Amino acid sequence: MWKNELLRSRAFRLALAFALAITAAATVVFTFIYLQISAAAIQRVSDRLAFEAGLARNESDAELHLRIEQHLTSDLRRLDFVGLYDSSGAVLLGDPAALPPIRIDGRAHLVGSIPGPGAARAEEGIFVAIRRSDGSILALGRSLAEINALRESVASALAISLAPTIVLILVIGAFFARRANRRLANIHAAIGEIVKGDFKQRLPVFAELDDVDLVSRDVNLMLDDIARLLEQLRNVGDDIAHDLRTPLAVARAKIERGLARGASLDDLRAAMAEALDHLDRAAATIGAFLRVSAVEHGRRQGRFAPVDLSSVCTGVFEFYEPLAQSKGVAIALDAPQLALVSGDEDLLREAISNLVENAIKFTPEGGLVRVAANVEDGKAGVTVSDSGPGVAPQDRERIFWRFFRSDRTGPASGNGLGLSIAAAIAKLHGFSLKVEDNAPGARFTLRGDANLGGPTATGRSEVTEAVVAPV
Amino acid sequence: MPQTASPGVKPAILVIEDERGLAEEIRYELQAEGYPVELAETRAEGLRAARAGAAAVLVVDRMLHGEDGLSILTTLREEGNATPILVISALSSVDDRIRGLKAGGDDYLAKPFELRELTARVEALSRRVADARATRLRAGPLEMDLVERAVWRGERRIDLLPREFKLLEYFMRRPNRIVTRAMLLEDVWNYRFLPQTNVVDVHIGNLRRKIDAGGEPRLIVNVRAAGFKLNVEE
Repeated sequence: MWKNELLRSRAFRLALAFALAITAAATVVFTFIYLQISAAAIQRVSDRLAFEAGLARNESDAELHLRIEQHLTSDLRRLDFVGLYDSSGAVLLGDPAALPPIRIDGRAHLVGSIPGPGAARAEEGIFVAIRRSDGSILALGRSLAEINALRESVASALAISLAPTIVLILVIGAFFARRANRRLANIHAAIGEIVKGDFKQRLPVFAELDDVDLVSRDVNLMLDDIARLLEQLRNVGDDIAHDLRTPLAVARAKIERGLARGASLDDLRAAMAEALDHLDRAAATIGAFLRVSAVEHGRRQGRFAPVDLSSVCTGVFEFYEPLAQSKGVAIALDAPQLALVSGDEDLLREAISNLVENAIKFTPEGGLVRVAANVEDGKAGVTVSDSGPGVAPQDRERIFWRFFRSDRTGPASGNGLGLSIAAAIAKLHGFSLKVEDNAPGARFTLRGDANLGGPTATGRSEVTEAVVAPV
Repeated sequence: MPQTASPGVKPAILVIEDERGLAEEIRYELQAEGYPVELAETRAEGLRAARAGAAAVLVVDRMLHGEDGLSILTTLREEGNATPILVISALSSVDDRIRGLKAGGDDYLAKPFELRELTARVEALSRRVADARATRLRAGPLEMDLVERAVWRGERRIDLLPREFKLLEYFMRRPNRIVTRAMLLEDVWNYRFLPQTNVVDVHIGNLRRKIDAGGEPRLIVNVRAAGFKLNVEE
């Protein structure tokens, strides 16, 4: 089990491959070094033997004999050979006991085995043979046992140096494999918990931030998002349930009371009328909620056409001016120039209407609502500002959520969906919608993409284009 | 309950709706307003009844037992049947509305709706033919010159803002008929959604103040749970 796991582990398999590679590389390097060294040694021995043989060719018999004697007494290791043979090859003096089977040409030759007094010594040697003036043959040689011994020591050095390296690599590999396995097991366990529904669980991330950590961190960020969305969804669910149940409960109570205690037809009628109001409120909530969904999931871009936000603002202003006046709120329009965007005019009118309606709703008597369409940095937009209580900084994002109600809702009515619908419409268009402090009051800004010009624009901006073009 | 039933025989209405409870309520309400009503539950039944040609207005549910009610519209229109059709649907998105109107519907109403709203729209469809080319409108004491853009009540000239003029014109083209807030929003202001405030009532209030001078009887009256009506003698 553990063995299988080890072999399956990527870390351990990498270590194994690494050990093989190290072995192969080291073997190649050592072999190369050995070949270089042995070739050089053989060359050196061959040169010396040929040189000495050349010298001996002309030596007197006495000198030669003395040298052979000296050699026989001093070469205890039996590595060097000097031998004198008669023309038939029988040994006269020195060793080896028989003339090695080489050509007598004064050049170095490699022999596979060195003839000995008994059996031949099974070792390689290099020999040089020359024919002296008296017809005798002088052979000089050296055993290659030393050099061959070098090969063995190189091989054993290789083994000695490699073995611990490989063991070390495998141990480290196993260590990392185990650690990785343990981490994966932790991650696996965490994912298991999350799948079971514990969205507070996060994947473990260590300080070192390696590749696994980076993936875990990204997954964690994703989980944060999902958890937030789920929470939002839950809140929306609760809010919808509340917004539907409350009017349904009231309607039910009214009908029940009307049926049980309605003394007259008029009583019953009054109770029914009240119940109807509350049912309408529930229906309005569903309708508005579906509206947000429809806008959010709508694929209406196909119908996008150039829309002048200034003229939309003018229409919305005309529509809401009487309402503002009836509330004692001053309302001002500032839409002096063409402000073109690509969009759905009906939806943009709805978004701007919601902003204006919202502003009028929250502005106290004597206050001011200002509706402005303009072009900033080449982007057309609409600003709706009021002198109401404003939006608390912590609510400035949440205010666009579905069904969100801040404290500012307070006495004013409405199901809190106007801003959500406006936000959904802005999102569908790829526009930004934000709220700022108007000191005092709130300032909502809907800002579109680049102001449309050129081919898609209508009359007025084509003129502008024509003026700009030659510059 | 205000009595809006007018004298004389009203045209027949065919209601194609598979939800029994709702169909019965619609029949009850329309009959109370004086319309003969025929009910159909399926697409085939509905088509047969519509082809018989007795109905002046069709009320068609978009979804009938899993069948697409809109195919009734397209079929009838292909056959050259031009009977006005009101589409009712639980689908309320703008896209669905556009699809309904494209298929040959003349008006579109999302469920749940007020029965008075339905009645008002059926009435509007059944009496749709008005002289659109007229340049002068008259309704009771009111007179409107569409070319000069001037309005009088009796001898008194009334100064109206353009938006008030448009609103009054809408009422004068539909005297004594219920006009709902949704109809005003859609037809006068091109609004495809219902504002959450009483903005329509404010517009009506402003218009009323101008056309009803001190002591004069109120011409535009509220109809409870439905909307408004320009109340004049015909």
